[in-house]
Amino acid sequence: MDSEDDMHDANDLESLDDDFYSGETAMGSDDGDAGYDFVDNESDDSEDITSHRQQQNYTILSEVDIRQHQEEDINRVSIVLSISRSAACILLRHYNWSVSKVHDEWFADEENVRKAVGLLENPVEMQNARELSCGICFENYPHNNMSTAACGHHFCGSCWRGYIGTSISDGPGCLMLRCPDPSCSAAVGQDMINILATDEDKEKYSRYLLRSYIEDNRKTKWCPAPGCDFAVEFVMGSGNYDVCCNCSYNFCWNCTEEAHRPVDCGTVAKWILKNSAESENMNWILANSKPCPKCKRPIEKNQGCMHITCTPPCKYEFCWLCLGAWSEHGERTGGFYACNRYESAKQEGAYDESERRREMAKNSLERYTHYYERWATNQSSRQKALADLHSMQTEKLEKLSDRQSQPESQLKFIIEAWLQIVECRRVLKWTYAYGYYLPEHEHAKRQFFEYLQGEAESGLERLHQCAEKELQVYLDAETPMKDFNDFRTKLAGLTSVTRNYFENLVRALETGLKDVGSSNSQATCSKTSSSKCLGGKSKIGKIKAGGTTSRSGGPSRSLDESNLWSCDQCTYVNPRSTNTCQMCEHRRCTT
Amino acid sequence: MANSNLPRRIIKETQRLLSEPAPGISASPSEDNMRYFNVMILGPTQSPYEGGVFKLELFLPEEYPMAAPKVRFLTKIYHPNIDKLGRICLDILKDKWSPALQIRTVLLSIQALLSAPNPDDPLSDNIAKHWKTNEAEAVETAKEWTRLYASGA
Ligand SMILES: [Zn+2]
Ligand SMILES: [Zn+2]
Ligand SMILES: [Zn+2]
Ligand SMILES: [Zn+2]
Ligand SMILES: [Zn+2]
Ligand SMILES: [Zn+2]
Ligand SMILES: [Zn+2]
Ligand SMILES: [Zn+2]
Repeated sequence: MDSEDDMHDANDLESLDDDFYSGETAMGSDDGDAGYDFVDNESDDSEDITSHRQQQNYTILSEVDIRQHQEEDINRVSIVLSISRSAACILLRHYNWSVSKVHDEWFADEENVRKAVGLLENPVEMQNARELSCGICFENYPHNNMSTAACGHHFCGSCWRGYIGTSISDGPGCLMLRCPDPSCSAAVGQDMINILATDEDKEKYSRYLLRSYIEDNRKTKWCPAPGCDFAVEFVMGSGNYDVCCNCSYNFCWNCTEEAHRPVDCGTVAKWILKNSAESENMNWILANSKPCPKCKRPIEKNQGCMHITCTPPCKYEFCWLCLGAWSEHGERTGGFYACNRYESAKQEGAYDESERRREMAKNSLERYTHYYERWATNQSSRQKALADLHSMQTEKLEKLSDRQSQPESQLKFIIEAWLQIVECRRVLKWTYAYGYYLPEHEHAKRQFFEYLQGEAESGLERLHQCAEKELQVYLDAETPMKDFNDFRTKLAGLTSVTRNYFENLVRALETGLKDVGSSNSQATCSKTSSSKCLGGKSKIGKIKAGGTTSRSGGPSRSLDESNLWSCDQCTYVNPRSTNTCQMCEHRRCTT
Repeated sequence: MANSNLPRRIIKETQRLLSEPAPGISASPSEDNMRYFNVMILGPTQSPYEGGVFKLELFLPEEYPMAAPKVRFLTKIYHPNIDKLGRICLDILKDKWSPALQIRTVLLSIQALLSAPNPDDPLSDNIAKHWKTNEAEAVETAKEWTRLYASGA
């Protein structure tokens, strides 16, 4: 998620806020609640460093880029070895497009290399024979109507066309085509193809060549997203395999599955295998309707969020996951968010559902089901969020811009929020695979993991709620400018806080929660640099939209309307009922 | 009729097969389909198939010579590279086919395969195993089958 794109977006947002605040200076300073972490732009260079590091990790290649790289490599080899471009191409393909390997092998033993790929040193030229017999159709033709590779085996144009066409329709093996004579190994390269083949075959050959450049090369892969034509060139040696393609698909370069941090590739493979093995048992889970726990009518989940309100007249509010009353969920009860905690079924047995689940807890299928269901639910929530993001981009933003008389360029914070929701759903999804494989006996770890996960869920729900339901008000009707500006501040703030939280969560899980017990703060707030509570009113600066935690800037302020305060050290949003950060145990700064 | 538009190459190959047959091999096109050949191969001397006369069928598909001919033994034969349907495991009939090869070269290769069975690239696992574990006994069986099924007639 630190991808280049995100960075750009974050920067856009920052400049957007710049514009916004330069015009509306009064707002925010009056309103003590609106403040967030105001920071000076100059002090915020950590992101540039991050983005720079990420940038060197991989390059996205379009078809034009690929052709250009390929041309460059071919030219280089052709010039250094003084051979034709076509011969250079044959050599490169043979050595999986590694220029250095071609050079090494060639200068170590040119004769052997030539033999291996079928490049004859001294082309044979037929002596003055006027007419020759084609070795395939047995017809006689004038010498100059026939063609040969470097070996001097002549065939007529129509037989060459047929020979090349057959080989190309057999697949990428055509890139290693040899002379039709069975005793001859002379290579037939692209120069001959371009002279002798049909236009259609020339095009196919050139596509195979392009594909080979990506597929036979250790450093490159195609983006696995369906219909995507981009390729990714990866620089080995850095630990992080996450790649974000220009088509916006995130995937793991190592295993080409969808991006799965914080879980490692091996766990993903295990989990996917497990899912396919269990999928028959799991069919029932995929049904996307559940009975309302109160009126028993089937409810279909049609919004991405877990907070479900039954249709009138019932209007019962409940949690989609555990079917428990929504009143027992969420921030009002101190961030308590029970439904991701399987173990918590042990608690009071407050409702039947948890009773039933507790009884079945020993059953391993039930355990798997627990994780799988949540994994799958987050997956479909993510799909839903992607669709919402799309409709936001294609229609709602325009509508909102109308209603609130704001240019669309000032509404990017909403897109930011939805991008973050999509990313959070992805991370959250994989935390369930993580949880499934976290050993049962590591109680402290499990407990801490579930705690972090629960906080992540509720933080995301808060953001989701704001971006989905609270936004609706502004879509439905014109509202006072100040209301909308407050909404902007809240949503942008929640986006930023949620991003920080999830980044810390990913890091903590990737390091195996190894600091559990001693100093949780180190595990989750590792990115924090020294932060002090600076007294006084904060100066009007820019809302910090990007990823890192505050380093200078004002005191943590209360996000009053939702009874929250943001931790000064780790930026986690805590409920007002506690004065110690639930994430890092840093005390609330009350100046 | 199916033989109109027969490529010159097939006509020339056929003429040459008839006028200069390879030793121990005969191939003649069927009367109603010039792409279908009745083939006979004599078991090579000093092979377990010596003295046998093996019947095969050979068919030239539409794509010939860009695609290989289809060849099959009609006579039962005990050989690790030939299965009980008479199908032959021979590289030039598959990926090593080249349009510069001919019916003659294919049949000569099959004849050579009778002289030199290759149990490491088997088509028939049982026979290949037999060949590798007890070659003398396998050769005896091959001779027996030659007597039983390929004695001429
Ligand atoms: Zn040649
Ligand atoms: Zn020809
Ligand atoms: Zn892509
Ligand atoms: Zn992976
Ligand atoms: Zn209901
Ligand atoms: Zn929601
Ligand atoms: Zn719940
Ligand atoms: Zn904190």
